Amino acid sequence: MRHLIFTVLFVFIASLVLGGCGFKDIDKRFFVVATGIDHSDNPNKPFRVTLRLAVTSPKIEPGAGKSQLETIDAKTIAEGVRELKAYVDKELDFGHCKIFMIGEKLARKEMDQAINWMTRRRDIQMIANVTIGHPTAEAILKIQPKNERYPGNTLFLSFGKEGTDSSYTVTEYIFGMRKRRTEKGIDPVLPIIMPENETYRISQAGVLNKKKLIIILSPEETQLYNQITNKYLKSSLGGNVEQDPYVLAVGRIQSRFKIKNNAQGKPVVEMRIKIHGLLEEAPKLVFDKDWASIEQELAKQYSKSVVRLLKKFQRQGVDPIGFGLKYRATHYSGGDKSWQEWQGIYPNIEFDVQTRVTIEGTGLIK
Amino acid sequence: MNRYFYYSFLYVLLINIMMFVPNIIIQNRYSGGISSLLLAIPFGTMLALLFSSSISRFPGKAVPEILFDHYPRWLVVPFMWMLAALYFLGSTIVLVAFSVVINRFYNPDTSSNVVLYLLIATCIYCSTRTTLSLVFALEVLIIINAPLVMFVLGKGIFTSDLDWDAMHTVANYFRMPPNLVSFAAATYIFSGYLNMSILNRALPPNFRLKHRWIIPLVGTLAMFTSIFIPIGFHGTEAVDEYLFIWSITADSMKMEYGFIERVLFLYLILYLNLTLLFTTFGWHKAMEFLKSTSKSHKPHLDPEKIPKINWIICGAFGLIAIIYSGVVNEKQNFSIATVWLIIRLFAEILSVIWICWLAYRLKSKSKFKVKGQSESK
Amino acid sequence: MINRILTMFADSKDLITKRMKNDDISIEVAYIDSLCDESKISEAIFVPFSRNFKPFEEIVEFSSEFKPIHEMTEWASSLLRGYVLIYINSKYYSYDASRNIRIENQNTQVESSIQGPQIALTEDLKDGLNLIRNRYPEPNLAVEERTLGVSSKTRIAILFDNRRVNDKVLKNVKKKILEINADMLHSAGEIVRELGGNRKQLFPTTLITERPDRISNSIAQGKVIILIHGSMFGIILPITFYDLMNTMDDQYESFWMSRTLMVMRYISVLMTVTLPAMYISIVSYNPELFRVQLAFSIAGSRSAVPYPSFIEVLVMLFMIEMLVEASVRLPRYIGSTGTTVGGLILGQAAQQAGLVSSIMIIVTSVVAISNFVIPNNSLAFAIRFLKYPLIFLAVFYGITGVCIGMFCYLVYLSSIRSFGVPYFRIHRKPARNAEGDLGQVSSS
Repeated sequence: MRHLIFTVLFVFIASLVLGGCGFKDIDKRFFVVATGIDHSDNPNKPFRVTLRLAVTSPKIEPGAGKSQLETIDAKTIAEGVRELKAYVDKELDFGHCKIFMIGEKLARKEMDQAINWMTRRRDIQMIANVTIGHPTAEAILKIQPKNERYPGNTLFLSFGKEGTDSSYTVTEYIFGMRKRRTEKGIDPVLPIIMPENETYRISQAGVLNKKKLIIILSPEETQLYNQITNKYLKSSLGGNVEQDPYVLAVGRIQSRFKIKNNAQGKPVVEMRIKIHGLLEEAPKLVFDKDWASIEQELAKQYSKSVVRLLKKFQRQGVDPIGFGLKYRATHYSGGDKSWQEWQGIYPNIEFDVQTRVTIEGTGLIK
Repeated sequence: MNRYFYYSFLYVLLINIMMFVPNIIIQNRYSGGISSLLLAIPFGTMLALLFSSSISRFPGKAVPEILFDHYPRWLVVPFMWMLAALYFLGSTIVLVAFSVVINRFYNPDTSSNVVLYLLIATCIYCSTRTTLSLVFALEVLIIINAPLVMFVLGKGIFTSDLDWDAMHTVANYFRMPPNLVSFAAATYIFSGYLNMSILNRALPPNFRLKHRWIIPLVGTLAMFTSIFIPIGFHGTEAVDEYLFIWSITADSMKMEYGFIERVLFLYLILYLNLTLLFTTFGWHKAMEFLKSTSKSHKPHLDPEKIPKINWIICGAFGLIAIIYSGVVNEKQNFSIATVWLIIRLFAEILSVIWICWLAYRLKSKSKFKVKGQSESK
Repeated sequence: MINRILTMFADSKDLITKRMKNDDISIEVAYIDSLCDESKISEAIFVPFSRNFKPFEEIVEFSSEFKPIHEMTEWASSLLRGYVLIYINSKYYSYDASRNIRIENQNTQVESSIQGPQIALTEDLKDGLNLIRNRYPEPNLAVEERTLGVSSKTRIAILFDNRRVNDKVLKNVKKKILEINADMLHSAGEIVRELGGNRKQLFPTTLITERPDRISNSIAQGKVIILIHGSMFGIILPITFYDLMNTMDDQYESFWMSRTLMVMRYISVLMTVTLPAMYISIVSYNPELFRVQLAFSIAGSRSAVPYPSFIEVLVMLFMIEMLVEASVRLPRYIGSTGTTVGGLILGQAAQQAGLVSSIMIIVTSVVAISNFVIPNNSLAFAIRFLKYPLIFLAVFYGITGVCIGMFCYLVYLSSIRSFGVPYFRIHRKPARNAEGDLGQVSSS
């Protein structure tokens, strides 16, 4: 009896569904692997949406990754995507879109709408990477690297942790971007992708304030930024001691900072950095020299460059490291007061950076 | 048999995410949410311990039997109706909320009602089972799901994307005075002990709750992780912008070396199980309360044949749930949940005090008896 | 006597009746030729009777092999079991001269074990009892004999340890046995079905086994055993789901190895049930669940397939089910040819012809292989069925449907009772005996 009831109920429900179900096979979908959003210079249709679609094949081998590019100008991004559907024969699927690229021009103007669109769409993963394309996103997406095993894999691997571990690459996910754009006391940093000989170079980063792109960091500055915000980062540290070039392969880098009042009562950012590493490049017979003096010299030079970078941020009024958030966390004064205080403090704050370098060895030779 | 108590404690604790508890507290993060959390820990623990120790004085009896034994029908029947309505509404809120979540992430092209109907049909079938069967299912499901929940939480805690400064900033606001809404939401995390009000039928006569320290410990852990991990991921400001805060947080985690990369899907499967479990138990409890108000009803833990009345009551529940989902939209569901949490707090306090008072009277009576006997000797 | 028997068995040509006389006494003998061993009869009856060294009366009276019969109603049934009826001195005796044709091979065939005992039950009830008594030499071992089936009159024995057995269960079992009202009963499976009550039960609630070691272990756990004359299998009841997933080797192998195997078995159950449904729901609803590479290669290999994913799955599953069915029934030497033809040629060709995708071939074979991992045959059949409702749900609801289906299965399993004992309960012995069990209050 009860089985009968259950069956009847079930059939009833199933028949309800039969009308409109979202059944769509994988081969009837077009996977978007990267999305580019540019400014189009057309005031009526300000957005240029570029989609890189994967052309799938059963074989996965070097050079087999083919893709198709679709571009459209539209009034809004959502409209653009919808219109693009008319250009392709299968359903667009953003489920595997891991790269969102914003053209540099758009990034310099206003990127609110683009970020909003990404977070609001339900099929876009929060762990997709947000990047800036230089000169335009479209130009970057047009590049088809020759050795791609499957469409988009070069870009995916550059940002993922499984692939390359470049110390010049900044990664930012959509959720992190959204967090930094709204958070009081920390500003977003995005990687900048540049074209180079039919492939990409991702060695620079752009710092944004809450609205738009403010500074583009040089590769050296990008590495510095990466070093002071990450803990275990394979990177390098160079310097000259007595005119001899030294390069340290950093194995572990640890930095912490506090915001304090110094002896004169002025607020200071106190940053302490500890670096451990092996010498990768050094003059002959460095093994017999006094390591302590080399360490100190390297540390001094490093601290100086960090201060230079921090001062640069300060001058532009951006805070990608999160000093402001630290201040809010450690200086509670009720309501929103600590944030207002910080806005007064930051332009004049001093930086006290001290580095301790430890050379763990000289590699395989003396 | 202690584990059965803790299983039922655990699943209610885990479902808090679907009950909008993190949403409510995060909304009030600058205005007393954190202090309410802190206050809820001793309060919730106290209620849980009081209730579980007093109900174990009535071996094999559920709350309806205890109350009907000691009080006239006209007093108890409305109370039973109220409890039934409360449990039913609570589980229906969760079910409707979850059908929306699952629809957004898993079946975006169908209507959320279609998923909801299947969920309702499942809950009707499952909640008509006997209490004992449900307890066994509970055990298996908790054993399967708890490690996965641990995994997701661990993934959340030990990732470098977690911003400790943001959590620290929000934690600073513990100085604000607590408010009722957040307090009601926070105490919900501890309210799993109320399952004893029906499950006590199954527990053995010499049941004594051991390892009581688990209640505050696990409760506190769950409370802080379910509220602070999203803050750590999304910062102090953006965290308030998301509708399905935990789904988004789970989507922000990444399993680099897992079979599937996105934690979101694991999380959704997990909460699908927990939601079904919660609703099944909620409806089952509501059904038992309703059945107890009939004069001829005799409670039976594990009848061989499922009585027809079970199907009738649960079928009615299913119909009401369908109507509820049609009338109420996402936004209203959220505000109903807020109100529900507050009403539940008072109903909970009332039933704990009532049972405690009865247990106390029973104890003093029996003491008196023993005294009288020893004196007469 | 002979006249009466002749009227009872009027049309039986194989009934043999004799009147014999020696110096002292005359006897009457009756037996059914086809059921008896002639040499046994002549050795025990004809030779001593005709030689008459000792008065035959005495032999009959003092030997335990000759059993006195008091009632006339027992005549027919004794004759039909292969007994010889003897009338002597106005007393009736029976002598067991039955000849059972049975397989002499006593090696385990269905539940083979690597290092455990290799002996199996035989089709003779007495041998079975012998095997079990030897493994369980306890005076508490109770053996009750019954006959089941109106016509088949199958002899069965109910075995249990009367100190350890659960009285409620025993009462329940005896009641159910009394209720059996079938005409013919030959195999353990038939008896199980008659005992089951609920005919639409999906999962086996009894365990059919051929291993005497398993039976004696179960007796020690307080379970009830039914042995059947003429069947190589015994029935163990009540059981839990976990008993069915257990092999005897788990107890004979080292701890970690057997635990790992056990975990593997549960994982394979999960896989065989959900894999086809998961394939449909991931391919057709949530391709973002795969990793990118996998998604693209599946999309690529599926692009030649003209059918929606569920048709593909159903085609492949139907093929594999046919293969399994065929190879079970075929004679052994054709069997291997069948599997080769089906497995290799069909699978490869189906993919090349663009009927199914290459991933689907893997899915199908994983489903089939992991189903073979399940140690109990009747459970394996039940689980083989479980995947189809899930496929149905997957077509309409995707992953949500599959998870909901699994949830329903779990609740269904936990609501099954095997002779009043919870079927799906994770059983652990209570930490201390003083602690009560669930549901004690209501049952007492």
